[in-house]
Amino acid sequence: MSSSTSSEVVVRTRHLGKAYQLYARRGDWLKQVMFGWYKTYFKPFWVLRDIDLDVYRGDSIGILGRNGCGKSTLLQVICGMTLPSNGELRVTGRVAPVLALGATFDAELSGRENIMIGGAVMGLKRSEVLRKFDSIAEFAGIGDYMEQPVKHYSMGMRTRLAFAICAHVEAEILVVDEALAVGDAAFQRKCLDWIDSFRRNGTLLFVSHSPAEVRRLCNRAIWIEDGRIRSQGEPSVVIRAYHRALAMEKDDIHRFSVSE
Amino acid sequence: MPSVKVVNGKQIVVEALDPSQRLKRFLAKPFLQMWYNQDIVLAILRRELRVRFTGSAGGWFWAVVAPLFAIGVYTFAFTTNLQMPFAEAAASKRVAYALFIFSGLIVFNFFSEMAFRSPMLLHEYAHFIKQTIFPSDMLAVISTLRAATYTGIGTIVMLICVVLVTGRLPWTVVLVPLIFVPLSAFLMGLAWFMCAVGAFTRDAGYLMINVVPLFMFMTPVFFSHTSMSFPYDVLIYLNALTAYVEAIRDVVLVGKFPNPLVILWMLATSIFTFYFGYWFFDRYRNVIVDVI
Repeated sequence: MSSSTSSEVVVRTRHLGKAYQLYARRGDWLKQVMFGWYKTYFKPFWVLRDIDLDVYRGDSIGILGRNGCGKSTLLQVICGMTLPSNGELRVTGRVAPVLALGATFDAELSGRENIMIGGAVMGLKRSEVLRKFDSIAEFAGIGDYMEQPVKHYSMGMRTRLAFAICAHVEAEILVVDEALAVGDAAFQRKCLDWIDSFRRNGTLLFVSHSPAEVRRLCNRAIWIEDGRIRSQGEPSVVIRAYHRALAMEKDDIHRFSVSE
Repeated sequence: MPSVKVVNGKQIVVEALDPSQRLKRFLAKPFLQMWYNQDIVLAILRRELRVRFTGSAGGWFWAVVAPLFAIGVYTFAFTTNLQMPFAEAAASKRVAYALFIFSGLIVFNFFSEMAFRSPMLLHEYAHFIKQTIFPSDMLAVISTLRAATYTGIGTIVMLICVVLVTGRLPWTVVLVPLIFVPLSAFLMGLAWFMCAVGAFTRDAGYLMINVVPLFMFMTPVFFSHTSMSFPYDVLIYLNALTAYVEAIRDVVLVGKFPNPLVILWMLATSIFTFYFGYWFFDRYRNVIVDVI
């Protein structure tokens, strides 16, 4: 990371909000499509509200939060998979989403064929995939299984293959969503090392439930609760606050159930 | 460097465009998208064809022998029933009738394959659409290309049969690819429309299962529009497939140039359907991601 570009904002959001449309009845979406200009047939369900975020080139940001707090939706919005419902979003640079590793895998096809498709989906040209193929195979380290159908792979092998593809995309912004939970310690270390080296030229957005990973990889942490940013700043400070809140909540539930 | 700017849920296009530029952009957009995403289209198409041809034990059997078998059954059913006009015809006539059905089925099977699949298309690729940055409009293109491949195989088999039976091939067969271009565009537009509707509701799929067999008899597969009485022989052209069936027959079996009016109608319906389908899909694509 050179200091001259470090001030450049690559992801910028202002009052970003995302609402899903909840329909009371299954047929209501049809009414919404036909008469939506006249009346609203859904209840908005806000998963993200008023997110103000500036990510600078070379930043690596850890995102913390309970299940269902909106972390993954935030990442999806930043990657451009789904549009925000209001607010402003600006993303500059090639984004590589590592949201669900192996989502594009076809169980019937061999690892080799899945690399061709996975690479294309990540935006690589066929020639690029072919050129990088040996390097991908080496990173995955699954040996002769490369020619076997993916349905015979273990969960860890799938993760290895999928991460190996992601590691060869040459993105400017890497968005990782709890992707490393599977995989053995050695492979996790390999991935973390790779992310570490990626961080030197790229920007990282990283969702994790492991405080150690966030502390090691990130220079800033963001804690999201109920779709809002509750606090952000120095990773160790945010992690401590987050863990204290988690402990309090557990306590609260406990006390509540006892009093009943 | 790619840059996305979204304000209040709407993507902002920075430059202001006058209407003629906007029209130009609208007309060029599907093709630019195809060009831009060609690697992904080809990678998935290759995968789908490989699954079809090497993943099943039958492989080529399903593409070549099964249609021939179907045509045999149809020919038998329609020519041995004494109520039917072809029943008393000589054997050579029956073979001619088999070819007649074959040419109609090639067009119709192209349509029915697309019609059955399109409503489920986005569901089939839901994990691509939700978890990767995926050009969902390319799915209709991929499925059209896939169906066109089978249609191409069927056409080659048909041409071989024509040579075997009649011993000659009219020069007009060179026009066959030119008929398949508007047909593919027509079906691609239909696929865009139906896969967008199908993303919202499964009813579209059920509707197709019921409607497609009816269409088989509303398209001149087993008969010719010339054998129909006055208002109907024109009305059947409201089904756009009629034009393609008749054009293919003129070109392959009769060996004459299709009626210019038919060609005009073919082009008009296909261009309209192509752009309408893309416009509709593009309009709802951002909603589709959230409902699928």
